[in-house]
Amino acid sequence: MSMMPKRVKFRKQQRGKMKGNATRGNYVSYGDYGLQSLETHWLSARQIDAGRIAAQHFLRRQGKLFIRVFPDKPISKKPLETRMGTGKADVDFWAARIKPGTVLFEIAGVPEELAKQAFARIAHKMPVKCRFVGRRIAV
Amino acid sequence: MSKNTPTLKAAPRERLGSRYAKRLRTSGKLPAVLYGHGTAPMSITLDEKETVTSLKTGAHVVKLAMEGGSTETCLVKDLQFGWLGDNVIHVDLARVDLDEVVTVKVRLQFVGTPESAKKPGAVLTHDVTELEIECKVRDIPEEIRVDLGGITADVYTVGEFKLADGLKAVTDPHAALSRVVTIAEEAEGEAAAPTAGAEPEVLTAKKDKEGEAGAAPAAGAKAAAPAKEAKKG
Repeated sequence: MSMMPKRVKFRKQQRGKMKGNATRGNYVSYGDYGLQSLETHWLSARQIDAGRIAAQHFLRRQGKLFIRVFPDKPISKKPLETRMGTGKADVDFWAARIKPGTVLFEIAGVPEELAKQAFARIAHKMPVKCRFVGRRIAV
Repeated sequence: MSKNTPTLKAAPRERLGSRYAKRLRTSGKLPAVLYGHGTAPMSITLDEKETVTSLKTGAHVVKLAMEGGSTETCLVKDLQFGWLGDNVIHVDLARVDLDEVVTVKVRLQFVGTPESAKKPGAVLTHDVTELEIECKVRDIPEEIRVDLGGITADVYTVGEFKLADGLKAVTDPHAALSRVVTIAEEAEGEAAAPTAGAEPEVLTAKKDKEGEAGAAPAAGAKAAAPAKEAKKG
C-alpha cells in the first residue's frame, strides 16, 4: 500500500510555498550513508515507493533502508476536460515537501561502495537532483 | 586526548559579522570563537583545511598557536554546519585545563561481526555511532574501539560495554551499540499497488445523524457536480 497518513485533520490542503533550504532532516541520522536532495519538489508516494523498491531489489536483504520523508500533503487535481469552478478537486496523490538539503533515504549495514550503487538506483527514480552523503563530524 | 594534539594557527578576527565571515570562508579560512575560564570571548580565524582535517581524525582537543606567539589548549565545543548540513562553517572552542572533567561525544569504531549477523538475511545495525563520555581532557580518546567479534546476543548495549579506565559513559546504558535485525524477504508486488480508494480518516469530517463519516455527503456533492455542468452546457 502506498504511503499516506492514517488520519488527517482536513481532507484537502492549500498548495503553500517551498522556498529556502531544509533546516531539519538535512543530515544523516539513522544509517551510515544517505541520499540528499539538491532541489525543491513535491515527492509523491509513488516516487518514494519506487525508490524503496529499486534499493531493496538491489540490496537483496543486505542492509537496512530508512525512508526519511513521508508524504503527508494531499495534492488535488481536477479531471481532464472539466470546467473550472464547482469547488476544490478531489485528492489525486499524497506528496512529501522536499527542499534542498533534505535527506530522502539512508542505508545502514552495508559497505560504502554498495550504498553508492543502491543510491544511484534510487536517484534515477527521483524527480530531483541528489547527492550521496555520509555522516557528519561529531564533537 | 591523542598523543599528537594538532596545533592550529590562529589569528584574531578584527571585522565581525556574517559578511566578513563569508569573505573569510571564500579565502580558505574558518571563523571561530574562543571562550571560557572567565576571560572575554575572542573571535579568531583558523585555517579551514587543517582544522577540518583535524576534526575528521577525531580530534577533540587542539592547541592554538596565536599570532602573538602564545598557545592555548582548547576543547572543540560546537560546530556549525552549512546549508547542506555537512560542511563546517564555524567552530566554538573552549579554553580547558588538561585535568578538567568534561563531557564529550566520541565516535565508535566497530570491529568484527557478531555470530548472529552471519546468518542469511541478518543485518548488523548500530543505534549509537558515537558515545557521550565523561572524562578528564587529557584522557579523551580520538575514537573508541568496540569489538563485536565475540558477541552472541542480538543486541549489545552501552551498559554491557566496558570502557577504559577514567572514562564514564553518559549515554543511556540501554542504548544498543549493535543490533542484529533479520530482514524478511519481500513478497512479490508487496506495496507496489496502492489500494484504490484508500483514504485517511478525516478528524473534522461532519458526521450525519446516523453517525457515518462525512464521506457520504462528499460523494453526493461530487455526483451533483456533473449534473450541474450538463445544465450549463
